[in-house]
Amino acid sequence: MNEFVEAPAAPKEETWQEEGLKRRLIGTSVPRTEDERLLRGDGRFTDDVQFAHQLEMAVGRCPFPHARILSIDFSKATALEGVKHILTGAQVRELSDPLTVLRPVPGAPQLPYYALAQDRATYEGQPVVSVVATSRALAEDAIELVEIEYEPLPHVSDAIEALEEGAPLLHPQSLDSNLLASNSDRAGEPEARIEEADVVIRSRMRIGRVTPLPMEPRGVVAVWRPGARELSIHTSTQVPHLVRKQLAESLRLGEECIRVSASDVGGGFGMKLGVYPEDVLASLHAMALRRPVKWIEDRMEHFRASTHGRESIHDYCLAADAEGRFVAMTNTYTTDIGGWNSPFGSSQLSSVVFTGPYRVADAAVERRVAMTNKTPVGAYRGYGQPEVNFALEVLVDRLARRLGKDPLALREMNMLRPEDLPWTVPSGAVYDSGDYVKTLHMAAEAVDYAAHRGRPRTPRADGRILGIGLSAFVERTGYASARFLANRGSKFGAHESVTLRANRSGTIDLYTGVSSIGQSSETAFAQICAEVLGVEFDAVRVHSGDTATSPLNTGAFASRTLIAAAGALREAALPFRDKTLRLGAWALGIEPGDAVIEGREVRHRSDADKRVALADVFSRAILGQGIPHDETPGLETSAHFEPPSAAFSFGTAAAVVAVDPETGEFEVERFVMVHDCGVAVNPMIVEGQVRGALVQGLGAALGEELRYDAVTGQLLSGSMLDYAVPRAADVPPIELLHTEVPSPVTTFGVRGVGEVGTIPPGAAIANAICDALADHGVELSALPVTPESVWRALEAAKAAKKGEAA
Amino acid sequence: MKAADFLYHRAGSVAEAVTLLDEYAGEARLLAGGQSLMPMLNMRLWRLGALIDVNQVPGLDGIEVEGQGDLEATRVGALTRYASLERSPLAASRLPLLVEMVRHIGDRQVRNRGTLGGSLVQGDPTAEMPLACLVLDARVRVESGRGGREIAMGEFYHGSYAAALEFDEMVTEIRFPRHPQHFAFSELTRRHGDFCVLSVAVTGECDSDGRWHDVRIGLGGVNDMPVLAEAASARLAGTRLADDDIREAAALTQEAIDPPSDMRATAEYRAHLVPVHVRRALQQLCSKNRAADRR
Repeated sequence: MNEFVEAPAAPKEETWQEEGLKRRLIGTSVPRTEDERLLRGDGRFTDDVQFAHQLEMAVGRCPFPHARILSIDFSKATALEGVKHILTGAQVRELSDPLTVLRPVPGAPQLPYYALAQDRATYEGQPVVSVVATSRALAEDAIELVEIEYEPLPHVSDAIEALEEGAPLLHPQSLDSNLLASNSDRAGEPEARIEEADVVIRSRMRIGRVTPLPMEPRGVVAVWRPGARELSIHTSTQVPHLVRKQLAESLRLGEECIRVSASDVGGGFGMKLGVYPEDVLASLHAMALRRPVKWIEDRMEHFRASTHGRESIHDYCLAADAEGRFVAMTNTYTTDIGGWNSPFGSSQLSSVVFTGPYRVADAAVERRVAMTNKTPVGAYRGYGQPEVNFALEVLVDRLARRLGKDPLALREMNMLRPEDLPWTVPSGAVYDSGDYVKTLHMAAEAVDYAAHRGRPRTPRADGRILGIGLSAFVERTGYASARFLANRGSKFGAHESVTLRANRSGTIDLYTGVSSIGQSSETAFAQICAEVLGVEFDAVRVHSGDTATSPLNTGAFASRTLIAAAGALREAALPFRDKTLRLGAWALGIEPGDAVIEGREVRHRSDADKRVALADVFSRAILGQGIPHDETPGLETSAHFEPPSAAFSFGTAAAVVAVDPETGEFEVERFVMVHDCGVAVNPMIVEGQVRGALVQGLGAALGEELRYDAVTGQLLSGSMLDYAVPRAADVPPIELLHTEVPSPVTTFGVRGVGEVGTIPPGAAIANAICDALADHGVELSALPVTPESVWRALEAAKAAKKGEAA
Repeated sequence: MKAADFLYHRAGSVAEAVTLLDEYAGEARLLAGGQSLMPMLNMRLWRLGALIDVNQVPGLDGIEVEGQGDLEATRVGALTRYASLERSPLAASRLPLLVEMVRHIGDRQVRNRGTLGGSLVQGDPTAEMPLACLVLDARVRVESGRGGREIAMGEFYHGSYAAALEFDEMVTEIRFPRHPQHFAFSELTRRHGDFCVLSVAVTGECDSDGRWHDVRIGLGGVNDMPVLAEAASARLAGTRLADDDIREAAALTQEAIDPPSDMRATAEYRAHLVPVHVRRALQQLCSKNRAADRR
């Protein structure tokens, strides 16, 4: 299936010159608008929203990975004073429809994922009963009193085993195996090239299951006013308009009856993309009780109830000629989607970027989506790109060792050059532009790679051996187009939208459906809008994430917000600017062509005495008084913009790691990231985004792991006690370097930046460890990389050597 | 999650606290720093009849020194916060090993609230304080309505999370004998402040002729409670901690351990690490001694 059919648009005229812009604000590290309220404790997260007569909800969850629900007796819970309402699967089925999917897996059937389990639960943590009471503690007391009789059923938690003959079936009514769907993309004749190749490296590479772990867990407050037929939802989401759509579908309401607002949001990372069972449950309770119902996910629930990320097994094959030129690449992989299909499902971008930044004409990829008795997997920062980066970049180093070549030279030999771009990969996606080799050299120079290459891998005075590892990557940011999404059955568009509205204070209200999830969209939007209008940065006030006030949009995910919104901002701001100039010129009695906006005034471009305040101009427009007869009153513009294509960010990371060859303990002493996100609207925000994502990538590389017990199928690391997310003290020193190649496919040349840091840490660190231990013959094939996994690899290498000797 | 209902008492004295403990007959817990107790209540792992807050009880915190020379002892109140130990010049000079290990506990917030007595009673097999107290040969003072007694750290646990206390008993003080001349500490954690994969604390005395005695080797995280590797210690008595002595002693530590497998590491890996970390800690002990000689 083709990623999209058309080639990207030819590079546009330089947008800056076309519009007479001076790059006054774009490219400047304006301090974040969001910071003041957040630092003062004035943020408004879901739990900060309180209503009179509000009740609280708690959810009873299946304690088994797979179980039949034989009976539910809630008589004791009902008898508890303060308990107001209880829902079970049967009522939920009567009152609502299953949760819908926003990004379907092509070829997958619809699964009947109701907000409460029907006769069977397919993962530990699946909601089975929900209770509303006067306090959360009381609701939890009531949950303990609900007597549920379960019949535990055979379960399967390993994605490979789930696809084997005879595995327990999760959804026999919809599927005759646990394979939800499979899709493949190919170009050329990779099998034939592999046959002829001088060297072929094959390996099974495993990527662990992790949790996105936002600081604010999920939460929802539902308020139903039956007389108004209005369901008002406050929730922690990246996509208020999509939540509204999905809730309307599940609750059998018209979209006009639902208002969703989401700001502030304490982090999303892809996990807050769409409706979860608890959103439907809180709404059903609120509608039944006619009282506001709040549910705030606690951290213990979060580990089981919110979608997980990653977990895939890649069978990679990298074939090269004797010089090291890549001649073919194949990747057959299984991605674990868990017990149900979540709104976004498991990672899909592994199929797009599996060939990395390399020139490979013959390549094939096959994606198999496996269902297992575990928490559903959803989108997570990177969405398949960190996974294939780890697999491929580790194998590139393995190939280099096999051929006795320098890993840097091998990468350079195979990398796409600026003149090779645009380049179409097997999925049909097109890498737009970039200088990949430059970032490779910058990363290598920053860690003094050349000097290190020449040194022997012997222990330092502290007993540790130093290694350097590289990882080069491309990252798809944004969506190709609505046409591409339609091909895949997606239930959302590729556009972003804004409304600009003048007010009588002389400032501009900017309305967007993009909620503030920490990505700094309020700041960046104001920068771009102010840039185009010619006003000061603080003359633009951004209002985020409320479906009742914002134009219909797509949402904050896929590193796409700015890719699409930059165009919408420009297209809304240009007519706004022109009308402001016409009205201002009319007020001043000058030609519009002579008028300019500067600061908070419209003035004559050369006669400084001729000036009128924006407040005056905007008042005239709002009142319809003192404007030309042929002008309509009001000053408000909206624009919807869809970029012609996705933009690809790129870069190279280098890790310097010291390894203890006796214990496997290691320390990342330096981590350098060279990165290109095209034109940086706000370099400080870019740095924050890259750093934040790097820390998540380092966490997944070094210790974060959701592990399920092989026998009981239960989550072993389902709390902050056991799940090793890095804390400030655990983050190695990070050095960031940037290049700036404008993308030809986006407004202002921007590329997405939100996810990129998650991509290279795993491979760079694994490669550094293998480099340090090259004399021991150590190979790593799984994330996370832990001291124990390094020790085991050392032991395995030792045993292999012994075997050879014998 | 939110804790189920419980009664809250604020005790004004040790006598009041132990009377309440007796009244609730095992259904009550003392609240000191609350760094383990409160999460357990919130996660509903425990349902309590009552919580008895001892934070207002006077005289339960502080560090005092008594006696001189070999009879010197340091008394630390059970309610003494980790942060107080961390910042106390007296603790730094009298209990340097304890102070070094305190820095490995949790994070700043945990150390501001958590207490020495609380950690001992909690009895986490990976915790730093029980290991430090064991290696330093501390004794734990407990009180109840029936009177007081002292328990040697070596006898303070029945198992993991199981202090050898009766339900009506309360820890009031930890008493340390004179601090050993030399010490070293080594710990492997996944993250700073995390529960350890393993920890090793060693102490010893070195004569002027370079012979070692009273070498104590304490191990955390590799059994259901912190343990002393006694065979290994015995191997080192009277030696100069030569490389062979250390290597052989390190190998003998295997007798003392029965490591668990958990999210942090497998038993096999812990078993591999113990002798390596013991060897390195002993080498550190030696080199510290040599550095002291040079001074």
